[in-house]
Amino acid sequence: MVRMDSFRISLGARPTRTLRTCLRTAAAIFLASSVLGTTAARADLAGSTAPDFVLKSLAGANLRLSEYLGEVVMLNFWASWCGSCRQEMPQLDRLYATYRSAGFVVLGINVDDDVARAMDMARALNVSYPMVLDPRKSVAPKYRLGELPMSVLIDRSGIVRFVHSDYQAGKEQPYVAELRRLLNE
Amino acid sequence: MRVRNVLAGLRRCTQLWLSPLWRATLVTLLVLSASGASAGEATPPANAAAATPAPAAPETGASRDFKSLDQDVQSLKTEVVELNKDLFVLEEELLFPANTQIAVFVSLDVGDFFAVDSVTLKIDDNEVANYLYTQREAEALMRGGVHRVYLGNLKVGKHELVAFFTGKGTHERDYKRGATLTFEKGIGAKYLELKISDRVRKLQPEFIVKEWE
Repeated sequence: MVRMDSFRISLGARPTRTLRTCLRTAAAIFLASSVLGTTAARADLAGSTAPDFVLKSLAGANLRLSEYLGEVVMLNFWASWCGSCRQEMPQLDRLYATYRSAGFVVLGINVDDDVARAMDMARALNVSYPMVLDPRKSVAPKYRLGELPMSVLIDRSGIVRFVHSDYQAGKEQPYVAELRRLLNE
Repeated sequence: MRVRNVLAGLRRCTQLWLSPLWRATLVTLLVLSASGASAGEATPPANAAAATPAPAAPETGASRDFKSLDQDVQSLKTEVVELNKDLFVLEEELLFPANTQIAVFVSLDVGDFFAVDSVTLKIDDNEVANYLYTQREAEALMRGGVHRVYLGNLKVGKHELVAFFTGKGTHERDYKRGATLTFEKGIGAKYLELKISDRVRKLQPEFIVKEWE
């Protein structure tokens, strides 16, 4: 009887372990494919014309991307709940202040559902570049928004040149190098 | 839908032609091939006499080739722009044929009492257009510009258009007004105009929807 019980127990344990292994493998494959898919989509975006949009800014005016043709534009998608976004925005503000006179514009695009929260966060961060609101997420799909923060660098002809979604504090050098290259074109 | 996709693909090709990167690549390739050809032609005169002004001839030839290449590229670009324009017109004619076409335009007369921010259109209770105007676009309207806010298709018969205007009125106050028009869509294109003008006597803006004959 004891042997039968142990046999039954061992039979019950094997399927559970197998099931867990299968689930882990499936989850890993799913994650890898989603990351690869997002990376591939963003790779498609680079080199294409930046999709035009118009959104209401925090100041109340409507801002249209195509009106910045001739300037180097950085679109920075952010949300109030995103910690990396809050770290990145002061750095972008510094870049904006430094290169504004050379024809560089940063447009912060907030994707919060709650507009009031977005406005509170923007006031708290106190950045000087224009911020626009996209609560309906009408612009985010055009730029294949994946993880936040995401920054898109657009050259003076309106072509998307670089897409970043891997911000790490203290590693702004790639941004600066790419920005200077576009400003010098 | 397929026709639209084909036309969109053709337009994308023409836009690729117009992109600076493609143009630069084309010019570089053409210059390299031309300089290769002119270098091959220039070597026999250079070998003939060293004292004679032979070095001047290859430079003139190369610069002439470069100028003609530049002209070729410019004419190619003009042709591509024309083609793009023709494709755009063809796309409109195919997607919005005249017997079902309806176009709605927005115009602003003076604009002292109302600064337009956005316009929303509903036809038969369906929202068909929602346009936000930037400051530049609003100024263009004030200077006499007319904006085509909607182009679509409608069946023959009676329809109702409702337009909502949002903006700033006098003393920077938020202003939202609506205007309605019931119209008959017959055979042939229909053109409607949403006109915002100043009613000086009442110091208020006036919103009129009218049909073009």
